[in-house]
Amino acid sequence: MPTIPGWVKSLLIALVLLSFVPLALIARARVSTSPDPRIHIVHDMDHQEKFRPQEENALFADGRAMRLPVAGTIARGELQADDHLYRGTVPGTNNKEWARKLPPSVTVDEELLARGQERYAIHCAPCHGLAGHGDGPVHRRALQLVNQKKPGMAWQAPKNLHSDPELILSSATAKKPAGYVYHVITNGFNNMNGYKAQISVEDRWAIVAYVAALQRSQGAPQ
Amino acid sequence: MKNPLDKWLSQPWNRARTLPFPRWVDHFVKVLGLVAVAGGGYVTMLVAYGASPKTLAVGYAPEQPVPYSHKLHVGELGLDCRYCHTSVEETAKANIPPTSTCMNCHSMIRKESPLLAPVRESFASGQPVEWVRVHSVADYAYFNHSAHVTRGVGCVSCHGRIDTMDVVYQTQPLSMSWCVDCHRHPERSLRPASEVTNMTWQPPNGQDPYEFGKSYAEQHSINPPTDCSTCHR
Ligand code: HEC
Ligand code: HEC
Ligand code: HEC
Ligand code: HEC
Ligand code: HEC
Repeated sequence: MPTIPGWVKSLLIALVLLSFVPLALIARARVSTSPDPRIHIVHDMDHQEKFRPQEENALFADGRAMRLPVAGTIARGELQADDHLYRGTVPGTNNKEWARKLPPSVTVDEELLARGQERYAIHCAPCHGLAGHGDGPVHRRALQLVNQKKPGMAWQAPKNLHSDPELILSSATAKKPAGYVYHVITNGFNNMNGYKAQISVEDRWAIVAYVAALQRSQGAPQ
Repeated sequence: MKNPLDKWLSQPWNRARTLPFPRWVDHFVKVLGLVAVAGGGYVTMLVAYGASPKTLAVGYAPEQPVPYSHKLHVGELGLDCRYCHTSVEETAKANIPPTSTCMNCHSMIRKESPLLAPVRESFASGQPVEWVRVHSVADYAYFNHSAHVTRGVGCVSCHGRIDTMDVVYQTQPLSMSWCVDCHRHPERSLRPASEVTNMTWQPPNGQDPYEFGKSYAEQHSINPPTDCSTCHR
């Protein structure tokens, strides 16, 4: 039988080699990342005509599918009439006097302090430090940037929670008692923004309780 | 032995015939069956391998409007996931933080950075930054973050080492088999609920993660359902 001509052999070898290209492409796609949109072969009902949280809706001017409450309205049960709980002030003083204690609806127990510790570590410690000395990792990084004279730095050192006698929560004469700390967490102070969007009311009081515990751990009077 | 074709061609009435194919094609006829089986198998394998969610879904890393880096903010600055993704423990959805969360720091840090211009614009105008969604399960399936996070499944089990990513990419297929595999054997990925955001958690005292998960699941009666109505409701 005649032998296979050379060009056919080369063609065959080339074809066999080419057939490995898809395999190589797939193998590469498996181990690399790509900003290209996913290839979606069968759509079924994967993408339905409905809006999920935080999705886009071109119908509204701001493009948000999630709507804010109409300005000036209050949902049922969200009147927030309790000055002590919601604003940290003594009821009946027209929000002029800071409450010295936690609201009666908040019971101080181990659970509350543990919750306070956890939330403090999440939201406060980045700047104020785990022990409250105002030396958190974000502060340290910001100081480095300031020292390197990087542009656009308006950094102010976060408060040391132990050094200001007016801020010692257990002291009977503190000008900045528990209600004040609650107020600062809620609405911010100087360069610190308020955290009311990030921390719930109960958690804010838990953090206040934990700050008092922190201060005692650093020698504040009972 | 003579080739049957040659025999046929040598018949007197066939002498004048020319063959439509050159004779060397005969070499291939012998291996035709083998090639068909191997080629068919290869193509099937390619389709299965290529169309798997592990190829198509994993590794998706869309370009974001702001080059926000988890590696910097989580890995280096040590921020907890819940500083930004505040709703992850309470609701089905892990929220993408609003601009005001970024401005907690960026109203003082790198105020002039061109990279942060969209954030400042959004803060001034109230228009949201248009982050591109990375992870997405099909709309007909129900997923719930709080059901997992409060029961001790860490973010790292489903999102990988976010704290090392400059750009978030998908590390898990998020397919039904992936969900159900873990629902059948959750032991391998359980940890105390207080450690869910810890990216490098290991069981205490060098305990085997599987043993830890097993006893943890027993203590907290963790028993992920596998009925269809859990995820298709
Ligand atoms: C400083 C705020 C911040 C912190 C802290 C943070 N994230 Fe994010 N995260 C974002 C922003 C903004 C996005 C949207 C942009 C993007 O995808 O990169 C995002 C996106 C994500 C996504 C992708 C969402 C999608 O579209 O599918 C995941 C997953 C995620 N984060 C997980 C985590 C985990 C896990 C942690 C903790 C280890 C964490 N994040 C900490 C701000 C934050
Ligand atoms: C807790 C403080 C904090 C929060 C909250 C925060 N960042 Fe940052 N971010 C920093 C610090 C500190 C740097 C500077 C690090 C450096 O340059 O060394 C930085 C740097 C950046 C940079 C790089 C800027 C540049 O010019 O190099 C971008 C982009 C950025 N952040 C985006 C964001 C976005 C988007 C958010 C909101 C989801 C956010 N950050 C929330 C602290 C924060
Ligand atoms: C059991 C797996 C699992 C765990 C654990 C998990 N996620 Fe997710 N995550 C998902 C899936 C699946 C999606 C896609 C959800 C969708 O499409 O609705 C997602 C989506 C997200 C998103 C995008 C927004 C959304 O909800 O669709 C963010 C942000 C996120 N996860 C952050 C986190 C953080 C932070 C943690 C840890 C505290 C975490 N995830 C733990 C599976 C998980
Ligand atoms: C790494 C493990 C793991 C993965 C992956 C996982 N789950 Fe789960 N899932 C769990 C555990 C653990 C529970 C909690 C079971 C319990 O509370 O007893 C749970 C609970 C749930 C619940 C709530 C069940 C109920 O009625 O209480 C739903 C819904 C759910 N998972 C859906 C999903 C979907 C959808 C996916 C895939 C996108 C998924 N899960 C992936 C481990 C996992
Ligand atoms: C733990 C969660 C979970 C459970 C339990 C579950 N599914 Fe699913 N299922 C999913 C997810 C997530 C998807 C979407 C997969 C994707 O997007 O690739 C899915 C997809 C599907 C699809 C569509 C497949 C396709 O690509 O067209 C069918 C059909 C389906 N599931 C049937 C079932 C049936 C029947 C059961 C019960 C025996 C069941 N599922 C149980 C999570 C689950």
